[in-house]
Amino acid sequence: MNMQEEKILSDEEVEILQEIMNISFGKSAADLADVIDAHVVLSVPFIKIIQVTELPTYFKDHVKDYKTISIVEQKFWGRFKGDALLIFSSGAGRELIEMLHHETTSGFESDPIDILERETLMEVGNILIGACVGKLAELLKDVVTYTPPMVVVERDYTDAVIERRYDPESTAIVLKTDFCFDEGDVSGFLFLVTSNDSVSWMKEALRLFIEQYE
Amino acid sequence: MIKKILIVDDSPIARKMLKSCLPKDQGFEFFEAGDGKEGFEKYKDIVPDVTFMDLTMPVMTGYEAIEEIIKHDKNAVIIVVTADVQMKAIKTVMESGAYMVLKKPLKREDIQSALSKVNDSLQKV
Repeated sequence: MNMQEEKILSDEEVEILQEIMNISFGKSAADLADVIDAHVVLSVPFIKIIQVTELPTYFKDHVKDYKTISIVEQKFWGRFKGDALLIFSSGAGRELIEMLHHETTSGFESDPIDILERETLMEVGNILIGACVGKLAELLKDVVTYTPPMVVVERDYTDAVIERRYDPESTAIVLKTDFCFDEGDVSGFLFLVTSNDSVSWMKEALRLFIEQYE
Repeated sequence: MIKKILIVDDSPIARKMLKSCLPKDQGFEFFEAGDGKEGFEKYKDIVPDVTFMDLTMPVMTGYEAIEEIIKHDKNAVIIVVTADVQMKAIKTVMESGAYMVLKKPLKREDIQSALSKVNDSLQKV
């Protein structure tokens, strides 16, 4: 752990946040599995605290193995506030269309496939982000509201990622989970990025959360 | 009666949360492991009466650890404690021989009712 991490969150606070992220992404995967014919395979969540200016490089390092990526982004507001970025591997939109509708893409010849792809990514993104952020907020006794999802479809990762509009002085807490589906060639990352505006509230919320288990 | 309890979870916080939900007056002896492989090794050494097992873990997942433990001891009592509550995950672990699945975050009453059920089963054996 580097000095920034020590300064902002203690080891124990990071571990609590990691477990809360684990529970929250488990909830979102189960919600998605209810509507999609596949099992979402989850990774152990990871927390990283970095300067906002390092975020674009951090994102690029994670997605550089994908030829192209699609991104669903939603901002959320409560005492816990930030950005949720769901980044999908190449071709995910079309794979997800098949998984959601149990038909091949050729079944949509009369439909504009790019619109369908965008809507499918938005639908899946909305489920994963909404359930995950919602559960995380619920566990920390907060309520959040969301902007409508924004979607970027099949861009080269170097173009798509991602010069965010954060205060350059700010520190970001990045909560990352990798996922893939056991059927279909879809994988990606969910990043929740919250700034140091939320830190003092978060520290207290984490303390209250774990206090139930003391 | 349950005496020895093994908790397998990569998160020290999750292990602490689980322990805090267990009754304090039963004289349980606790053992902990941070991944499935360590859990399997400890299982063989300790032969616990109950094993609480997470699923998403590094080194060896809970799915794999359950299979190894059941292969080693078909009477092992493994209670899966997981955030992954997808139907397929539950079906897979139950088919592998898990005793039951509890959803994270844990509630004291869920743990206590699970332990009562295990005690009833042990008394019937």
